[in-house]
Amino acid sequence: MKPQFRQISPLICEFEWEDEVSDKLLQQQISLREEIKKEFDSEISEVKMGFKTLSLRLSNSLNFPVIKEWLASVKPEDAQIPLPEKIWQIPVCYSKDTGRDLQSLAEAKNIAIEELIALHSQPLYRLHFYGFLPGFMYLNGLPKSLFTPRKSVPDREVPAGSVAIGGSQTGIYPSSSPGGWHLIGQTPIELFNPKSIIPVFAEVGERIEFTPISSQDFERLKRHPQQPNFR
Amino acid sequence: MIRDIGYLKILKTGPGTSVQDSGRTGVAFYGVPISGALDQRSCGWANHLLQNQKGDAALEICQPGLKIQFDSPTLICLAGAKAEVKFNGNSISSYGLIEIQAYDQLEIGAFHEGSVLYLAIKNGFQSEQVLGSRSWMEGITANIYSKKGDQIPFFSNSETPKYTAAKPRWDFSWTQDMSLEVYPGPEWDLLDLKTQKKIQLNSFSVSSHKNRMAIQLTELLPHSLPEMLTAPVYPGTVQLTSGGKMIVLMKDAQVTGGYPRVLQLSEQAIDQISQKCPSDLIRFELKKP
Repeated sequence: MKPQFRQISPLICEFEWEDEVSDKLLQQQISLREEIKKEFDSEISEVKMGFKTLSLRLSNSLNFPVIKEWLASVKPEDAQIPLPEKIWQIPVCYSKDTGRDLQSLAEAKNIAIEELIALHSQPLYRLHFYGFLPGFMYLNGLPKSLFTPRKSVPDREVPAGSVAIGGSQTGIYPSSSPGGWHLIGQTPIELFNPKSIIPVFAEVGERIEFTPISSQDFERLKRHPQQPNFR
Repeated sequence: MIRDIGYLKILKTGPGTSVQDSGRTGVAFYGVPISGALDQRSCGWANHLLQNQKGDAALEICQPGLKIQFDSPTLICLAGAKAEVKFNGNSISSYGLIEIQAYDQLEIGAFHEGSVLYLAIKNGFQSEQVLGSRSWMEGITANIYSKKGDQIPFFSNSETPKYTAAKPRWDFSWTQDMSLEVYPGPEWDLLDLKTQKKIQLNSFSVSSHKNRMAIQLTELLPHSLPEMLTAPVYPGTVQLTSGGKMIVLMKDAQVTGGYPRVLQLSEQAIDQISQKCPSDLIRFELKKP
């Protein structure tokens, strides 16, 4: 599981792994990120992750030779840091009112709405990284039976908090935005708070579970927003 | 110096005027775009002439039709695009320092050359700082683009500003250069040789799909690359969509994307392309990083 190192510009470089997306790969990405942060915190202006990539942007191209030298000497494949144990519980109101595609998706899968909800809310999903929109979590763990191609014509507006399925992924829209995923429900909680120094609640590597709630609870929680619980 | 708060009032505005600084660094990890001035070189120069910090917040003007009024004295500096500028009704140059007294008005008309003009102010605009930056951004700051009646705070000089009579020259010709310095992107090697050649030899034109998120090029580049798993992107990353569109990502772009990343513009090339207008031609000059 040795990543390929590539310098892209005088300021940007990237590690890419060939392996399948997995907890083990994520563990390596996080370990390497931690090592780099420990060693070069002030020299690195951005760290970004993808499913199989870790990318760095330096604050100054003069630092590249030293960092490259160091990178050649580390072995990300020896990573030992275990993934965090925390599991966040995201309340979701699965209904036609909060998820406009819930019924059509269940029909397309030839299952009852209740079964679709059970399939979606049973697994634990691993948070791999943030991207797309501020606070949007890229999650791994959607059951294969729920994989659904994205809409050919994206919706002009997806409401904030929408829980959706697109391709082999599921996610929550932190803010309203155009989007091509199938909406199956909505969470009343706030996923991104720009006024906070760390604007998100979940750390990369932690897990998420969706807990179904009634529309009464949805309305109540919407009026009195709170941070999600974890276990 | 007494630091009284003064306000710049927007009397009239075209679309696309916003407050921008050097951007929001260190929060891309949470999915937050970097934002900041599209053309850091011009914005930085205006700040330099004011003896400001390099990253002080300035007004970024991308369309004609802006009319503003200052309610107290200060010193401002214009740099970037060449445009028609009226100061209390009289035409002046769109480049250089301008002494401001209370109730002075400034109007930005048609752009003649380039497409982004910066109005920097002594000590920078003091609008709210969110996640370490004053740059306006949807979902992050309360303001996204300026509207009529907006008041943008700055620190006013209580006495009449003074500056030397020296008029520093500003060479804007670098923005007219059609050749952009680029590096091979992470997926460059996956392109076949013919497509790689095309990218290096052909010239491409800037389309009208141009905003703070991205600049789309007009010509299509057919290819057979598959879409890929979501991976990091930066301002200056050139994505190649499945339909063959080339998209140059700019400062408000998402932090990750699923299209192959075929090129990466140098910092200088990002400044350069941000000053290009629709139908302007560009050429990619491939360099090793």
